[in-house]
Amino acid sequence: MRLPLRADCGWAKGDSGANALGGMYKIALRMLLRDRGKYLALVCGLSFATLLIAQQGSIFLGLVLRSTGVLQNVGQPDLWVVDPSTRYILETRPVGEQFVGRVRSVPGVAWAEPMFSNYANVEFADGTFKRVQLIGIDRTTLIGQPPEMVEGSLEDLRAPDTVLVEESSRPKLNNAKIGDVLRLNDKRAVIVGFCRAKLGFESNAIVYTTFDNAVRFTPVGRERVTFILVGVKPDADRTAVAADIRKFTGLGAFTPEEMSRRTIGFILYETGIGINFGITVLLGFVVGLAVTAAIFYQFTLENLRHFAVLKAMGTRNSVLVRMVLLQAGVVGMIGFGIGCGPAGIFTILGRKPGAELAPYFPWQLLALTLVGMMICIGLGSLLSLRRVITLEPAVVFK
Amino acid sequence: MSALSAESTVRVANTGESLAVELRGVTKTYGSGSTSVHALRGVDLEVKKSELVMLVGPSGCGKTTLVSIISGVLGADSGVAKLFGIDWSTLGNEQQTLRRGELVGFVFQQFNLIPTLSIIENVSVPLLIRGVREREALERAAAALTSVELGDRTKSLPSQLSGGQQQRVAIARALVGEPRLIVCDEPTASLDGHTGQVVMDLIKDTARSRTDENHRRCVIVVTHDTRIFHYADRIVEMEDGRLKKTLSQHTLEEAAHVPRFAEESPSPDEASKP
Repeated sequence: MRLPLRADCGWAKGDSGANALGGMYKIALRMLLRDRGKYLALVCGLSFATLLIAQQGSIFLGLVLRSTGVLQNVGQPDLWVVDPSTRYILETRPVGEQFVGRVRSVPGVAWAEPMFSNYANVEFADGTFKRVQLIGIDRTTLIGQPPEMVEGSLEDLRAPDTVLVEESSRPKLNNAKIGDVLRLNDKRAVIVGFCRAKLGFESNAIVYTTFDNAVRFTPVGRERVTFILVGVKPDADRTAVAADIRKFTGLGAFTPEEMSRRTIGFILYETGIGINFGITVLLGFVVGLAVTAAIFYQFTLENLRHFAVLKAMGTRNSVLVRMVLLQAGVVGMIGFGIGCGPAGIFTILGRKPGAELAPYFPWQLLALTLVGMMICIGLGSLLSLRRVITLEPAVVFK
Repeated sequence: MSALSAESTVRVANTGESLAVELRGVTKTYGSGSTSVHALRGVDLEVKKSELVMLVGPSGCGKTTLVSIISGVLGADSGVAKLFGIDWSTLGNEQQTLRRGELVGFVFQQFNLIPTLSIIENVSVPLLIRGVREREALERAAAALTSVELGDRTKSLPSQLSGGQQQRVAIARALVGEPRLIVCDEPTASLDGHTGQVVMDLIKDTARSRTDENHRRCVIVVTHDTRIFHYADRIVEMEDGRLKKTLSQHTLEEAAHVPRFAEESPSPDEASKP
């Protein structure tokens, strides 16, 4: 029974390198993909880890971003002028109306309009009440208007005692409709339309009205202007204009991006939210990553004997390392891809108007999740590779 | 083991270039201090090309350690271990691995086939390791499987085969790369009598399959199985990390009481003869 073999194999002729790797890569993939039980366990584990990381991250980002809801709703201004000690968009100290004129006189300022923001109570017939975010915009220019009207006309806001209600807030206001009268801080307010706008951090219903109405609905002291919204002339540098406003008025002047950063910074560092929710998110991240590393390490351990056989048969350490890394990369990418699906669906569902959850899933989070996954798979692989590299091929005889 | 009585020292089988294996004063100790185990205590051994040598002895006597050192999967603590003139101790890890892939084929008691690969893929692995293109490797693997009478099962997974068939796959895998040394660790321990005979016939043929001097190979079999002793050119008995006795083919032929597969478990064909 003579074997019909050839002595002139590729290796003997020096035909190694890419061919050897190609063949062994296929072996590595078959070892991975055909062991369906372990493969599915790996993919499920990695998908779950991805989902955990991405979903927790998106909730955290969404929550933080939500704190800038008021800022996002106002698209027109180049600068926000506020009391200089303002740290958070909803924690404000009003300034006097005379500052509006002073800001208008600063070189480079094209326009400046007052905006009012405060809380008010809507009282219902049954004696209950709901807290709402009351936004007052300039009656003439309507600067600071909501991003999108859904029902009714923005122009109707110019009529006396009228308000617009953010659409998703309807249920909070007993499913109010156009023409309904709200009892707003014990004053009459007629609903003339519904708009779409980002809810704030506290998810209160948003009610828009004119600046004058807002001041009447929510009496404050002599200082009544919460924000001064500023447009900069096209040829002016807004950073320079902001500096001039600070210099001439003593107020704080910030670009929308700066205001966002201040708000987010306040939420993260000045409230317990950052540390508390941050720990939860971090835990999700760490658990997800630890699961990833442990699962892959276990997979390699279970294949250690096969690697020992390959090593005994002449497979170099460098090839084994690449085989393990290939397995890690493939299973990691598949797990990541599958895990991103539910995370994306969760985000889409969670971002419905009025939803209490506001997950935010930017590509940066996707990239960060991928990097985290790869680091952890790499970590799991490193642990595995240490075993593979130091593996004595003699174990094949045991 | 009563057949192993004639010679109490290991005889140098040949000299110079015809030697496949040459061991001089090889020692190996596992662990250190009071828990250390001396697996080999200065072993000298020579094996000729084309020889089929069996290593026998009680469990823990050092057989597996010895074949591990011979095949280059384990380093000796001291002494010289040469395979076809190559001193393993002079090679780095990488070179040892490459040389091992070139020179040694393994047949294990538990077969050690990769369960997720079909048998043709399992057999092609040694060729892929050595850089043979996949298509050619599969062709040659198919030919090797045909030669062990498994040409019609190439797509099967190891788990779909019997123990004897798996061992034949393992033999095909060991031989497909044309190694010069075949190391068999208890190749018949998991097999019934008839299947063991088929497997040993294959292994015996392997040792004889190359007649040209440059490609002659030898086979070393570690076994406890007295039923296969008659296949050996030489039987080397080990005890407590040393070579105790050696028994030549001539002596074996005279040892009529050594049981054989045929005597103990006739093959179906033989059993049906009148």
